Amino acid sequence: MKSKILVIEDNPMVVKSLEFKLKKDGYEVVVAQDGRTAMKLLGETHFDLILTDLMLPFISGNEIIEFIKTEYPLIPVIVLSTSTQEDIITEAFTLGVDDFITKPFSPNELSLRVKRTLAKV
Amino acid sequence: MQLNSLNELENWPYILKVNLILSIFFLILTFLFVGLVIALRILKNRREAHRAKFDAKLIDFFNHFMFDDDFEKAPELGDFKFNHLRSSYDHKLAIKQVLIFDENLKGESSAALRELFYGLGLYTFLVGDLKKKAWFKKARALYAFSRLGISVPQELVLPLIKSKKAEVRQQAMLYFLNTSKENPLSFLDELDVELSLWQQVFIENSLVNFDLEVPDFARWFNHDKSSVVIFCAKMVVSFNQFQNIPLLIDALDHTDAAVREQAINSLKIMEVPDALQLMSANFPYESPSNKRAILYAIKKIGTVKDLRTLAGYIHKEEENLQIDYYKVASGFDSEIPVHKLLNLDTITQDWPDYQNYAQRLLQGA
Repeated sequence: MKSKILVIEDNPMVVKSLEFKLKKDGYEVVVAQDGRTAMKLLGETHFDLILTDLMLPFISGNEIIEFIKTEYPLIPVIVLSTSTQEDIITEAFTLGVDDFITKPFSPNELSLRVKRTLAKV
Repeated sequence: MQLNSLNELENWPYILKVNLILSIFFLILTFLFVGLVIALRILKNRREAHRAKFDAKLIDFFNHFMFDDDFEKAPELGDFKFNHLRSSYDHKLAIKQVLIFDENLKGESSAALRELFYGLGLYTFLVGDLKKKAWFKKARALYAFSRLGISVPQELVLPLIKSKKAEVRQQAMLYFLNTSKENPLSFLDELDVELSLWQQVFIENSLVNFDLEVPDFARWFNHDKSSVVIFCAKMVVSFNQFQNIPLLIDALDHTDAAVREQAINSLKIMEVPDALQLMSANFPYESPSNKRAILYAIKKIGTVKDLRTLAGYIHKEEENLQIDYYKVASGFDSEIPVHKLLNLDTITQDWPDYQNYAQRLLQGA
Protein backbone atom coordinates (compact mmCIF):
# COMPACT_ATOMS: atom_id res chain seq x y z
CA MET A 1 0.00 0.00 0.00
CA LYS A 2 1.18 3.49 -0.86
CA SER A 3 2.31 5.70 2.02
CA LYS A 4 0.20 8.81 2.35
CA ILE A 5 1.99 12.14 2.74
CA LEU A 6 0.42 15.43 3.77
CA VAL A 7 2.20 18.43 2.30
CA ILE A 8 1.46 21.72 4.10
CA GLU A 9 2.84 24.49 1.91
CA ASP A 10 1.46 27.71 0.43
CA ASN A 11 3.93 28.30 -2.41
CA PRO A 12 2.23 26.89 -5.56
CA MET A 13 5.52 26.14 -7.26
CA VAL A 14 6.90 24.20 -4.29
CA VAL A 15 3.57 22.40 -3.86
CA LYS A 16 3.50 21.29 -7.49
CA SER A 17 7.13 20.18 -7.45
CA LEU A 18 6.75 18.24 -4.20
CA GLU A 19 3.56 16.66 -5.41
CA PHE A 20 5.18 15.67 -8.71
CA LYS A 21 8.36 14.34 -7.19
CA LEU A 22 6.69 12.43 -4.35
CA LYS A 23 4.08 10.91 -6.65
CA LYS A 24 6.91 9.84 -8.96
CA ASP A 25 8.49 8.15 -5.94
CA GLY A 26 5.30 6.18 -5.41
CA TYR A 27 3.62 8.05 -2.57
CA GLU A 28 0.09 9.30 -2.31
CA VAL A 29 0.18 13.05 -1.79
CA VAL A 30 -2.43 15.31 -0.26
CA VAL A 31 -1.85 19.08 -0.21
CA ALA A 32 -3.02 21.65 2.31
CA GLN A 33 -2.20 25.25 1.55
CA ASP A 34 -2.69 26.47 5.10
CA GLY A 35 -2.78 25.25 8.68
CA ARG A 36 -6.55 25.20 9.04
CA THR A 37 -7.01 22.92 6.05
CA ALA A 38 -4.20 20.72 7.33
CA MET A 39 -5.88 20.30 10.73
CA LYS A 40 -9.17 19.46 9.03
CA LEU A 41 -7.49 16.88 6.79
CA LEU A 42 -5.68 15.32 9.75
CA GLY A 43 -9.02 14.74 11.43
CA GLU A 44 -10.42 13.04 8.34
CA THR A 45 -7.58 10.89 7.03
CA HIS A 46 -4.61 8.98 8.34
CA PHE A 47 -1.23 10.14 7.08
CA ASP A 48 2.09 8.32 7.25
CA LEU A 49 4.21 11.48 7.10
CA ILE A 50 3.76 15.24 7.18
CA LEU A 51 5.91 17.66 5.26
CA THR A 52 5.34 21.23 6.39
CA ASP A 53 6.58 24.76 5.88
CA LEU A 54 6.90 27.05 8.91
CA MET A 55 5.60 30.28 7.39
CA LEU A 56 1.97 29.58 6.65
CA PRO A 57 -1.24 31.60 6.52
CA PHE A 58 -3.66 31.59 9.49
CA ILE A 59 -1.73 29.15 11.69
CA SER A 60 2.05 29.05 11.91
CA GLY A 61 4.07 25.94 11.18
CA ASN A 62 5.15 25.65 14.81
CA GLU A 63 1.54 25.66 15.99
CA ILE A 64 0.71 22.91 13.51
CA ILE A 65 3.70 20.86 14.66
CA GLU A 66 2.60 21.28 18.27
CA PHE A 67 -0.92 20.18 17.32
CA ILE A 68 0.35 17.14 15.39
CA LYS A 69 2.73 16.09 18.14
CA THR A 70 -0.06 16.33 20.73
CA GLU A 71 -2.88 14.77 18.73
CA TYR A 72 -0.97 12.42 16.41
CA PRO A 73 2.41 11.80 18.07
CA LEU A 74 3.20 8.79 15.91
CA ILE A 75 3.14 10.65 12.58
CA PRO A 76 6.65 11.77 11.63
CA VAL A 77 7.06 15.43 10.62
CA ILE A 78 9.62 16.91 8.27
CA VAL A 79 9.98 20.68 8.11
CA LEU A 80 10.77 22.37 4.83
CA SER A 81 11.64 25.99 5.46
CA THR A 82 13.67 28.92 4.15
CA SER A 83 14.84 29.65 7.66
CA THR A 84 18.44 28.84 8.49
CA GLN A 85 18.40 30.53 11.89
CA GLU A 86 19.67 28.24 14.61
CA ASP A 87 16.98 29.18 17.13
CA ILE A 88 14.16 28.39 14.69
CA ILE A 89 15.68 25.01 13.78
CA THR A 90 16.31 24.23 17.46
CA GLU A 91 12.73 25.17 18.34
CA ALA A 92 11.38 22.89 15.62
CA PHE A 93 13.42 19.94 16.90
CA THR A 94 12.37 20.75 20.47
CA LEU A 95 8.76 20.47 19.31
CA GLY A 96 9.59 17.00 18.08
CA VAL A 97 10.09 17.22 14.31
CA ASP A 98 11.95 14.33 12.76
CA ASP A 99 13.91 16.25 10.15
CA PHE A 100 14.54 19.80 8.95
CA ILE A 101 15.22 20.65 5.32
CA THR A 102 16.15 24.18 4.30
CA LYS A 103 15.09 25.88 1.07
CA PRO A 104 16.46 25.93 -1.53
CA PHE A 105 16.27 22.16 -1.35
CA SER A 106 17.43 19.34 -3.54
CA PRO A 107 14.40 17.24 -4.57
CA ASN A 108 16.51 14.07 -4.68
CA GLU A 109 17.82 14.69 -1.18
CA LEU A 110 14.28 15.35 0.03
CA SER A 111 13.23 12.08 -1.54
CA LEU A 112 15.89 10.19 0.38
CA ARG A 113 15.01 11.89 3.64
CA VAL A 114 11.33 11.09 3.23
CA LYS A 115 12.22 7.46 2.49
CA ARG A 116 14.51 7.26 5.52
CA THR A 117 11.95 8.86 7.85
CA LEU A 118 9.20 6.51 6.68
CA ALA A 119 11.51 3.53 7.14
CA LYS A 120 11.99 4.46 10.79
CA VAL A 121 8.26 4.34 11.52
CA MET B 1 -42.63 65.73 -37.30
CA GLN B 2 -38.87 65.28 -37.26
CA LEU B 3 -38.49 68.21 -39.65
CA ASN B 4 -40.59 70.33 -37.32
CA SER B 5 -38.32 69.44 -34.42
CA LEU B 6 -35.25 70.36 -36.42
CA ASN B 7 -36.85 73.66 -37.44
CA GLU B 8 -37.66 74.31 -33.83
CA LEU B 9 -34.05 73.56 -32.91
CA GLU B 10 -32.89 76.17 -35.40
CA ASN B 11 -35.09 78.71 -33.67
CA TRP B 12 -33.48 77.98 -30.30
CA PRO B 13 -31.32 80.72 -28.79
CA TYR B 14 -27.59 80.37 -29.42
CA ILE B 15 -26.73 79.65 -25.77
CA LEU B 16 -29.15 76.73 -25.63
CA LYS B 17 -27.65 75.24 -28.78
CA VAL B 18 -24.16 75.40 -27.27
CA ASN B 19 -25.52 73.88 -24.11
CA LEU B 20 -27.07 71.00 -26.01
CA ILE B 21 -23.91 70.32 -28.03
CA LEU B 22 -21.72 70.35 -24.91
CA SER B 23 -24.14 68.03 -23.09
CA ILE B 24 -24.03 65.54 -25.95
CA PHE B 25 -20.23 65.84 -26.11
CA PHE B 26 -19.76 65.16 -22.39
CA LEU B 27 -22.27 62.32 -22.48
CA ILE B 28 -20.29 60.65 -25.26
CA LEU B 29 -17.07 61.32 -23.34
CA THR B 30 -18.55 59.68 -20.22
CA PHE B 31 -19.65 56.63 -22.22
CA LEU B 32 -16.22 56.37 -23.79
CA PHE B 33 -14.51 56.64 -20.43
CA VAL B 34 -16.74 54.03 -18.79
CA GLY B 35 -16.24 51.81 -21.84
CA LEU B 36 -12.49 52.22 -21.57
CA VAL B 37 -12.51 51.31 -17.87
CA ILE B 38 -14.59 48.21 -18.58
CA ALA B 39 -12.37 47.24 -21.52
CA LEU B 40 -9.22 47.63 -19.42
CA ARG B 41 -10.74 45.56 -16.65
CA ILE B 42 -11.71 42.80 -19.08
CA LEU B 43 -8.22 42.91 -20.57
CA LYS B 44 -6.68 42.68 -17.11
CA ASN B 45 -8.90 39.75 -16.14
CA ARG B 46 -8.09 37.95 -19.37
CA ARG B 47 -4.40 38.61 -18.84
CA GLU B 48 -4.55 37.31 -15.28
CA ALA B 49 -6.47 34.23 -16.38
CA HIS B 50 -3.88 33.62 -19.10
CA ARG B 51 -1.15 34.16 -16.56
CA ALA B 52 -2.60 31.67 -14.05
CA LYS B 53 -3.12 29.11 -16.80
CA PHE B 54 0.31 29.68 -18.28
CA ASP B 55 2.02 29.57 -14.87
CA ALA B 56 0.40 26.21 -14.19
CA LYS B 57 1.52 25.00 -17.62
CA LEU B 58 5.07 26.21 -17.01
CA ILE B 59 5.27 24.59 -13.57
CA ASP B 60 3.98 21.34 -14.99
CA PHE B 61 6.43 21.44 -17.88
CA PHE B 62 9.38 22.34 -15.62
CA ASN B 63 8.52 19.50 -13.24
CA HIS B 64 8.37 17.00 -16.06
CA PHE B 65 11.61 18.32 -17.47
CA MET B 66 13.42 18.05 -14.14
CA PHE B 67 11.95 15.00 -12.49
CA ASP B 68 10.50 12.78 -15.18
CA ASP B 69 13.06 10.31 -16.46
CA ASP B 70 10.80 9.24 -19.36
CA PHE B 71 10.43 12.80 -20.59
CA GLU B 72 12.00 13.38 -24.00
CA LYS B 73 13.68 16.65 -23.23
CA ALA B 74 14.91 17.94 -26.59
CA PRO B 75 11.71 17.49 -28.65
CA GLU B 76 9.45 18.56 -25.77
CA LEU B 77 11.53 21.68 -25.24
CA GLY B 78 11.26 22.65 -28.91
CA ASP B 79 7.57 21.89 -28.90
CA PHE B 80 6.88 23.97 -25.80
CA LYS B 81 8.91 26.87 -27.11
CA PHE B 82 7.15 26.80 -30.47
CA ASN B 83 3.61 26.35 -29.18
CA HIS B 84 3.55 28.30 -25.94
CA LEU B 85 6.26 30.94 -25.84
CA ARG B 86 4.74 33.27 -28.38
CA SER B 87 4.72 36.76 -26.91
CA SER B 88 7.15 38.85 -24.92
CA TYR B 89 4.74 38.49 -21.97
CA ASP B 90 4.99 34.69 -22.17
CA HIS B 91 8.78 34.96 -22.08
CA LYS B 92 8.59 37.20 -19.02
CA LEU B 93 6.32 34.73 -17.24
CA ALA B 94 8.67 31.87 -18.09
CA ILE B 95 11.66 33.82 -16.74
CA LYS B 96 9.77 34.56 -13.55
CA GLN B 97 9.00 30.88 -13.06
CA VAL B 98 12.63 29.95 -13.69
CA LEU B 99 13.63 32.42 -10.97
CA ILE B 100 11.04 31.02 -8.54
CA PHE B 101 12.26 27.48 -9.19
CA ASP B 102 15.86 28.60 -8.77
CA GLU B 103 15.00 30.22 -5.46
CA ASN B 104 13.51 27.03 -4.09
CA LEU B 105 15.52 24.23 -5.63
CA LYS B 106 19.18 23.40 -5.60
CA GLY B 107 21.49 20.57 -6.58
CA GLU B 108 20.89 18.75 -9.85
CA SER B 109 17.66 20.73 -10.37
CA SER B 110 19.65 23.95 -10.74
CA ALA B 111 21.57 22.49 -13.65
CA ALA B 112 18.34 21.31 -15.23
CA LEU B 113 16.86 24.79 -14.78
CA ARG B 114 19.76 26.34 -16.65
CA GLU B 115 19.26 23.83 -19.42
CA LEU B 116 15.62 24.92 -19.56
CA PHE B 117 16.63 28.57 -19.52
CA TYR B 118 18.83 28.19 -22.59
CA GLY B 119 16.55 25.67 -24.30
CA LEU B 120 13.49 27.90 -24.14
CA GLY B 121 15.43 30.81 -25.63
CA LEU B 122 15.16 32.88 -22.46
CA TYR B 123 18.88 33.69 -22.57
CA THR B 124 18.53 35.15 -26.09
CA PHE B 125 15.39 37.02 -25.03
CA LEU B 126 17.15 38.65 -22.07
CA VAL B 127 20.30 39.46 -24.04
CA GLY B 128 17.96 41.24 -26.44
CA ASP B 129 16.54 43.20 -23.48
CA LEU B 130 20.06 44.22 -22.46
CA LYS B 131 20.50 45.82 -25.87
CA LYS B 132 17.21 47.71 -25.72
CA LYS B 133 16.91 51.34 -24.72
CA ALA B 134 14.37 50.96 -21.91
CA TRP B 135 16.26 51.05 -18.61
CA PHE B 136 13.78 48.78 -16.82
CA LYS B 137 14.31 46.03 -19.39
CA LYS B 138 18.06 46.22 -18.85
CA ALA B 139 17.62 46.17 -15.07
CA ARG B 140 15.28 43.19 -15.30
CA ALA B 141 17.63 41.27 -17.57
CA LEU B 142 20.60 41.96 -15.30
CA TYR B 143 18.59 40.85 -12.29
CA ALA B 144 17.70 37.55 -13.93
CA PHE B 145 21.26 36.88 -15.08
CA SER B 146 22.74 37.68 -11.70
CA ARG B 147 20.16 35.61 -9.81
CA LEU B 148 20.85 32.62 -12.02
CA GLY B 149 24.61 33.27 -12.07
CA ILE B 150 24.64 33.23 -15.86
CA SER B 151 27.40 35.19 -17.59
CA VAL B 152 26.84 37.29 -20.69
CA PRO B 153 29.47 38.99 -22.88
CA GLN B 154 31.16 41.60 -20.72
CA GLU B 155 30.84 44.34 -23.34
CA LEU B 156 27.08 44.21 -22.81
CA VAL B 157 27.22 44.73 -19.05
CA LEU B 158 30.29 46.89 -18.47
CA PRO B 159 28.74 50.07 -19.93
CA LEU B 160 25.74 49.63 -17.65
CA ILE B 161 27.92 50.28 -14.60
CA LYS B 162 27.94 53.88 -15.85
CA SER B 163 24.22 54.02 -16.55
CA LYS B 164 22.39 57.20 -15.61
CA LYS B 165 19.74 55.09 -13.87
CA ALA B 166 20.71 54.06 -10.34
CA GLU B 167 18.58 50.90 -10.64
CA VAL B 168 20.56 49.72 -13.67
CA ARG B 169 23.89 50.50 -11.99
CA GLN B 170 22.77 48.59 -8.91
CA GLN B 171 21.73 45.54 -10.92
CA ALA B 172 24.96 45.67 -12.93
CA MET B 173 26.92 45.59 -9.66
CA LEU B 174 24.83 42.67 -8.45
CA TYR B 175 25.54 40.92 -11.73
CA PHE B 176 29.30 41.29 -11.34
CA LEU B 177 29.16 40.23 -7.71
CA ASN B 178 27.19 37.10 -8.57
CA THR B 179 28.90 36.01 -11.73
CA SER B 180 32.52 37.10 -11.53
CA LYS B 181 34.84 34.22 -10.82
CA GLU B 182 38.12 36.13 -10.41
CA ASN B 183 37.42 39.60 -9.09
CA PRO B 184 33.83 40.39 -8.15
CA LEU B 185 34.65 44.05 -7.63
CA SER B 186 36.35 44.68 -10.97
CA PHE B 187 33.43 46.94 -11.88
CA LEU B 188 34.77 49.53 -9.43
CA ASP B 189 37.52 50.33 -11.98
CA GLU B 190 34.84 51.45 -14.41
CA LEU B 191 32.76 53.43 -11.96
CA ASP B 192 32.55 57.12 -12.76
CA VAL B 193 29.73 58.05 -10.39
CA GLU B 194 29.82 58.03 -6.61
CA LEU B 195 28.86 54.87 -4.74
CA SER B 196 25.84 55.54 -2.57
CA LEU B 197 25.87 54.45 1.05
CA TRP B 198 23.18 51.90 0.23
CA GLN B 199 25.33 50.45 -2.57
CA GLN B 200 28.31 50.25 -0.23
CA VAL B 201 26.26 48.32 2.31
CA PHE B 202 24.89 46.13 -0.46
CA ILE B 203 28.37 45.25 -1.80
CA GLU B 204 29.71 44.53 1.67
CA ASN B 205 26.73 42.32 2.37
CA SER B 206 27.33 40.44 -0.88
CA LEU B 207 30.98 39.91 -0.02
CA VAL B 208 30.02 38.48 3.35
CA ASN B 209 27.07 36.36 2.25
CA PHE B 210 27.92 35.19 -1.25
CA ASP B 211 31.09 33.39 -0.29
CA LEU B 212 33.10 35.46 -2.75
CA GLU B 213 36.83 35.81 -2.72
CA VAL B 214 37.52 39.12 -1.02
CA PRO B 215 39.83 41.25 -3.16
CA ASP B 216 42.71 43.37 -1.91
CA PHE B 217 41.17 46.82 -1.51
CA ALA B 218 44.55 48.52 -2.07
CA ARG B 219 43.67 48.51 -5.76
CA TRP B 220 41.09 51.29 -5.38
CA PHE B 221 42.72 53.59 -2.85
CA ASN B 222 43.63 56.00 -5.66
CA HIS B 223 40.17 55.91 -7.25
CA ASP B 224 38.82 59.20 -8.62
CA LYS B 225 35.61 58.85 -6.66
CA SER B 226 35.91 59.58 -2.96
CA SER B 227 33.04 57.24 -2.09
CA VAL B 228 35.02 54.31 -3.55
CA VAL B 229 38.06 55.20 -1.41
CA ILE B 230 35.80 55.56 1.65
CA PHE B 231 34.28 52.17 0.90
CA CYS B 232 37.74 50.61 0.58
CA ALA B 233 38.84 52.20 3.88
CA LYS B 234 35.79 50.60 5.53
CA MET B 235 36.41 47.23 3.91
CA VAL B 236 40.06 47.17 5.03
CA VAL B 237 38.62 47.12 8.56
CA SER B 238 35.78 44.70 7.82
CA PHE B 239 38.10 42.13 6.27
CA ASN B 240 41.13 42.76 8.50
CA GLN B 241 43.46 43.74 5.66
CA PHE B 242 46.26 44.87 7.94
CA GLN B 243 48.64 45.01 4.98
CA ASN B 244 46.74 48.10 3.83
CA ILE B 245 47.34 50.15 7.00
CA PRO B 246 50.01 52.30 5.23
CA LEU B 247 47.39 53.23 2.63
CA LEU B 248 44.98 54.25 5.38
CA ILE B 249 47.70 56.45 6.90
CA ASP B 250 48.29 58.03 3.48
CA ALA B 251 44.55 58.66 3.23
CA LEU B 252 44.85 60.99 6.26
CA ASP B 253 46.27 63.53 3.78
CA HIS B 254 43.52 62.98 1.19
CA THR B 255 42.02 66.13 -0.33
CA ASP B 256 38.47 65.04 0.58
CA ALA B 257 37.58 65.56 4.26
CA ALA B 258 35.13 62.62 4.17
CA VAL B 259 37.91 60.26 3.09
CA ARG B 260 40.16 61.57 5.86
CA GLU B 261 37.36 61.04 8.39
CA GLN B 262 36.89 57.43 7.31
CA ALA B 263 40.66 56.88 7.44
CA ILE B 264 40.74 58.22 11.01
CA ASN B 265 37.87 55.96 12.03
CA SER B 266 39.36 52.91 10.32
CA LEU B 267 42.76 53.49 11.93
CA LYS B 268 41.02 53.91 15.29
CA ILE B 269 39.17 50.60 14.93
CA MET B 270 42.31 48.82 13.75
CA GLU B 271 44.16 50.38 16.69
CA VAL B 272 47.15 51.90 14.89
CA PRO B 273 48.84 54.30 17.35
CA ASP B 274 51.50 55.13 14.76
CA ALA B 275 48.87 57.11 12.88
CA LEU B 276 48.26 59.46 15.82
CA GLN B 277 51.30 61.59 15.07
CA LEU B 278 49.97 62.51 11.63
CA MET B 279 46.43 62.93 12.95
CA SER B 280 47.67 65.34 15.62
CA ALA B 281 49.76 67.26 13.09
CA ASN B 282 46.69 67.63 10.84
CA PHE B 283 44.36 68.51 13.73
CA PRO B 284 44.64 72.33 13.52
CA TYR B 285 43.64 72.30 9.83
CA GLU B 286 40.92 69.72 10.03
CA SER B 287 37.14 70.19 9.72
CA PRO B 288 35.18 70.14 13.02
CA SER B 289 33.87 66.62 12.39
CA ASN B 290 37.37 65.33 11.65
CA LYS B 291 38.72 67.05 14.77
CA ARG B 292 36.04 65.23 16.70
CA ALA B 293 37.00 61.93 15.05
CA ILE B 294 40.64 62.53 16.01
CA LEU B 295 39.67 63.22 19.64
CA TYR B 296 37.84 59.90 19.80
CA ALA B 297 40.71 58.13 18.07
CA ILE B 298 42.96 59.42 20.84
CA LYS B 299 40.45 58.20 23.40
CA LYS B 300 40.79 54.69 22.01
CA ILE B 301 44.45 54.43 20.99
CA GLY B 302 46.19 57.47 22.40
CA THR B 303 47.25 58.87 25.74
CA VAL B 304 46.35 61.88 27.81
CA LYS B 305 49.60 63.43 26.58
CA ASP B 306 48.38 63.19 22.98
CA LEU B 307 45.16 64.85 24.01
CA ARG B 308 46.87 67.73 25.78
CA THR B 309 48.86 68.66 22.70
CA LEU B 310 45.59 69.39 20.91
CA ALA B 311 44.05 71.61 23.57
CA GLY B 312 45.47 74.78 22.10
CA TYR B 313 43.90 74.10 18.74
CA ILE B 314 40.34 73.96 19.99
CA HIS B 315 38.96 77.42 19.72
CA LYS B 316 36.65 78.97 22.24
CA GLU B 317 33.81 79.21 19.76
CA GLU B 318 34.02 75.47 19.02
CA GLU B 319 31.78 74.58 21.89
CA ASN B 320 30.71 71.14 20.70
CA LEU B 321 34.33 70.19 20.24
CA GLN B 322 35.10 71.43 23.74
CA ILE B 323 32.41 69.15 25.09
CA ASP B 324 33.90 66.23 23.13
CA TYR B 325 37.30 67.16 24.50
CA TYR B 326 35.84 67.11 27.99
CA LYS B 327 34.26 63.72 27.42
CA VAL B 328 37.50 62.25 26.10
CA ALA B 329 39.50 63.86 28.92
CA SER B 330 37.15 62.47 31.56
CA GLY B 331 37.68 59.05 30.01
CA PHE B 332 41.36 59.26 30.83
CA ASP B 333 40.41 60.07 34.41
CA SER B 334 43.10 62.69 34.49
CA GLU B 335 43.21 66.24 35.77
CA ILE B 336 42.91 68.10 32.55
CA PRO B 337 43.21 71.84 32.97
CA VAL B 338 39.96 72.42 31.17
CA HIS B 339 39.59 75.89 32.67
CA LYS B 340 42.40 76.97 30.40
CA LEU B 341 40.60 75.67 27.41
CA LEU B 342 36.90 76.13 27.88
CA ASN B 343 34.84 79.23 27.66
CA LEU B 344 32.42 78.89 30.54
CA ASP B 345 30.51 82.01 29.62
CA THR B 346 29.40 80.78 26.26
CA ILE B 347 29.06 77.07 26.81
CA THR B 348 25.50 75.88 26.65
CA GLN B 349 23.49 75.63 29.83
CA ASP B 350 22.10 72.27 28.70
CA TRP B 351 25.12 70.45 30.01
CA PRO B 352 24.87 70.55 33.81
CA ASP B 353 27.13 67.56 34.06
CA TYR B 354 29.79 69.41 32.15
CA GLN B 355 29.23 72.53 34.24
CA ASN B 356 29.75 70.60 37.45
CA TYR B 357 32.84 68.90 36.14
CA ALA B 358 34.38 72.12 34.92
CA GLN B 359 33.48 73.99 38.11
CA ARG B 360 34.98 71.23 40.24
CA LEU B 361 38.21 71.39 38.28
CA LEU B 362 38.29 75.14 38.50
CA GLN B 363 37.83 75.04 42.25
CA GLY B 364 40.53 72.42 42.57
CA ALA B 365 42.93 74.35 40.37
